[in-house]
Amino acid sequence: MAGSLGIVDTKKMIAVIKEAYGLDLADYTLTTLKNRFIRILTYFNIGLVDNFVEQVKKNNINYEELLDVFMIDCTELFRDPSLWRELREVYLPDISKSSGSKIWMASLSSGEELYSLLVALKELNLSNGLRVEASCVSQLRIDRIKKGGQFDMKKMELGDANYTRLSGKFEFSNYYNVNGNKAEMDATLLNGVEFNKINISQDVQNKSFRFIMFRNVLIQYNMPLYERVVRKLIDSLTIGGYLVIGNKETLEHCEVGKKMQLVNEAEKIYRKRID
Amino acid sequence: MNYKAIIIGGSAGSFQVVTKIIASLPANYPLPVMLCLHRLKHVRSGFVEALSIKAQMPILEPNDKDPIKSGKIYLAPANYHLYIELGNKFALSTEEAVNHSRPSIDLSFFSAAYNYKQKLVGVILSGANKDGAMGLKSVKDNGGLTIVQDPNECQVPTMTLASMNATNVDHVFSTNRIIDYLLNLE
Repeated sequence: MAGSLGIVDTKKMIAVIKEAYGLDLADYTLTTLKNRFIRILTYFNIGLVDNFVEQVKKNNINYEELLDVFMIDCTELFRDPSLWRELREVYLPDISKSSGSKIWMASLSSGEELYSLLVALKELNLSNGLRVEASCVSQLRIDRIKKGGQFDMKKMELGDANYTRLSGKFEFSNYYNVNGNKAEMDATLLNGVEFNKINISQDVQNKSFRFIMFRNVLIQYNMPLYERVVRKLIDSLTIGGYLVIGNKETLEHCEVGKKMQLVNEAEKIYRKRID
Repeated sequence: MNYKAIIIGGSAGSFQVVTKIIASLPANYPLPVMLCLHRLKHVRSGFVEALSIKAQMPILEPNDKDPIKSGKIYLAPANYHLYIELGNKFALSTEEAVNHSRPSIDLSFFSAAYNYKQKLVGVILSGANKDGAMGLKSVKDNGGLTIVQDPNECQVPTMTLASMNATNVDHVFSTNRIIDYLLNLE
C-alpha cells in the first residue's frame, strides 16, 4: 500500500466503476478510495489506471470480485467486547420484550458482526424470539457468510480473545470448525436469518426495525453520503429503537442526528427520540 | 509560520519520549500535533489519560470527521487507522493492519503528507518495527520536514534506522533537540 494514486486517476476509476457496474463511490472518503483502488490494481495486476479502465470496458473484470477486494472488513468477531457485554446484558433483553422486534445488520462485510450477534442471541436463548435481517452489497460475500464465513485462523484467535474478555458462556471453539487454514462458523446459527442484497448508500428499503447495527461503515463516507445514510438508518428505526455505530463514530456531524439520543456514550448506542 | 501540522510516530520505547515532548509544548502552541503510536488493539481507555498528566495542551482521540484544530494534540484511537482528509478533517478506518499495526504510522503519515505537503513536520521516534519508514519518506517526497530521534538514544532503534534508510531525513536529533526545534519552528 506504499504507492499513491493521484486525484485524476482516482476520479477515472470512480467514473468507470459507476458506468460499468452502477456502483457509485463518488462520496467515499478520498483516503479510503485511494487505498482501496491501489488494492484493486494490485490484486488484478494492473499497473496503470488507464489499463484498468480498458479492462473494465472490455468486461474483463468480474464485478463481484472487484467488490470483494474493495470492501473493508470493518470488524473482528466481538470487536469491542465491552459493547457486546452491554448488548447482552441490557439492550438485547430489552428489545426482546416487545413482540415482533426485528434486528437489522444493515451492511455486512465479512459477517463477523452478524455471527457475533447470533452467538449473543443464542446464549440469551433469544434466537427464536428476535428476527434478524442481514443486508450486504455483495452476493459473493452473502454466499460466503452463509457457508460459515471462511475466516483466517488468526482472526479466530482474535475472536476467541474477545469472547474470553466478554466472558462468553461456553468455549468459543464450540462455534466453529477448522477446515484447512480457514475456520467456518457454525452455519446453523443462521437459522431464520433473512439475507438481502442491498447497497445501503444507493437502494431504498422501507421497513422498520427495533435495533440496527452499523458499525464502522460511516467512516468510509464523505459528509453528503454520511448524512443520507444516517437519515436512512433513522427512518428505518421504530420510535424508541436503537442504533449502534462504531465507538469513534458520531451522529453529531449532521442535523438529522438530533433525532437520536445518545444512551451509551462509550459504546455509541443511540435511541430514537419519541418526539 | 511555514507549517500547518506536526505528526509524530512511535512504538516500543517511545512513550517516555512522547510524554517529554508534549509536556514541553505550551498550551497556546500554534499547530495541531498528531500522535500515531502503536498500542494494544483492545485497550481503548487510559492512554489519553496517561499522556495528559504532564501535557499543557489538551489531548484527545478524535472521532471520525472531527475538524483538526491548532493547539490540540490528537492521538490515533485503538484499533483504527487515523487519516487526514480533505477539508482539514480526520477520517478513521478499519482497513487491514499495515506492518501488523492498526493504527499504522505509515498510513497516517501518507495521508498527512498528501494533505499538508511542504507544510508538515514528520517525526519518527523509538520503535521495534519498520512501520513509519515509508510514511516519513512520503513526508519528505511531498516537501515536508523530516526528523528522527537519534537511534543512539532510542530504546529500540529499528524504526528510526528504517526511516533513515528509506529517505534522506532532514534532522537526526536527541529528544531535547527535537523539543527545541518544535518550540522554535518558524
